[in-house]
Amino acid sequence: MKEKIQRQMFDYLQNLGVKNLVGVPDSTMKYFIDQGLKKNKILIATREEEAIGIAVGMSLSKCHSLVFMQNAGLANSISTITSLVQLYQIPLIFLVGWRGYLQNDAPEHRKIGEIQSSILKLIGLKSKIVKDDNWKLCCKWALKQISNGSSCCLVIQRLF
Amino acid sequence: MNRKEAIELITRKIGNELIISANGYISRDLFSINDKTTNFYMIGSMGLASSIGLGIAIKNPKKRIYVFDGDGNILMNLGSLTTIGTLKPKNLIHLVFDNGSHESTGGQPTCSNSISIAKIAKAANLKVFQAENESQFEKILVKIKKLLGPIMIVVKIKNSKEASGRVSLKPLDIKKRFTSK
Repeated sequence: MKEKIQRQMFDYLQNLGVKNLVGVPDSTMKYFIDQGLKKNKILIATREEEAIGIAVGMSLSKCHSLVFMQNAGLANSISTITSLVQLYQIPLIFLVGWRGYLQNDAPEHRKIGEIQSSILKLIGLKSKIVKDDNWKLCCKWALKQISNGSSCCLVIQRLF
Repeated sequence: MNRKEAIELITRKIGNELIISANGYISRDLFSINDKTTNFYMIGSMGLASSIGLGIAIKNPKKRIYVFDGDGNILMNLGSLTTIGTLKPKNLIHLVFDNGSHESTGGQPTCSNSISIAKIAKAANLKVFQAENESQFEKILVKIKKLLGPIMIVVKIKNSKEASGRVSLKPLDIKKRFTSK
């Protein structure tokens, strides 16, 4: 996603009431994260499961929350998603970078890039691929999901 | 002091404050000793009690949040201490009931027998206390009443053969009654 759109997306989510953003950085969404850091509205955790835990605490305090991470972090987090987020029906937005989407990405991302969509389907986490031309609709969709009490996932492809 | 005695002691002292309790015997004991709607019992997701507590503490600066953790649990998420120590929530009190073992899976040893969790927490800028027995624990609980966090109390406990039953509430009900507070 373009820099400008990533920054707009951050501001848009804030305006929609998604005030708490916690996660582990990913270059795929570095401008999104930078926008949050500039405004002091983002929290960097040491690992993805920790980020989910913090966001769950915020969600239990009735605040809309988003967790961002690479897809390697999604793989780390499967048990936390199934035994915490889904078990207790905690509404969270996940924003996950799709490393390994292009064949020429670094080798450690290839396998997880291949199976990422299947993992999301298997664990039953509804997802949409967010792009430069549909990001507003995706954000609104995600907000609707968490307002209805469900978690969901927005995926950003790494196209560079 | 065993875990049940330690949990009995602290729940008598803290009343209706919010408690996030770790999975395994800690949640089971708390549920059997003093079930309240202000208790959030974790069933799975081992290691994350302190992180959930941190999220709640950030969003509820006027309430005190107690995390009931175990040594095996916090050792799975030591990074949490660095995040807590950086954000310095004044209202977070992190208790680690330390028996040096993973008791609910059969008593396998943890590293807390050779590495001090209290020292790690101190290095992460938490205000740290350690209780070896009931009277020390009681004194610490008096001391921290007016003290600003983040605070950690490592409570050394003995293993006991007595195990409380499982938390019989449904996870969704645990959440609903907790979030209505």
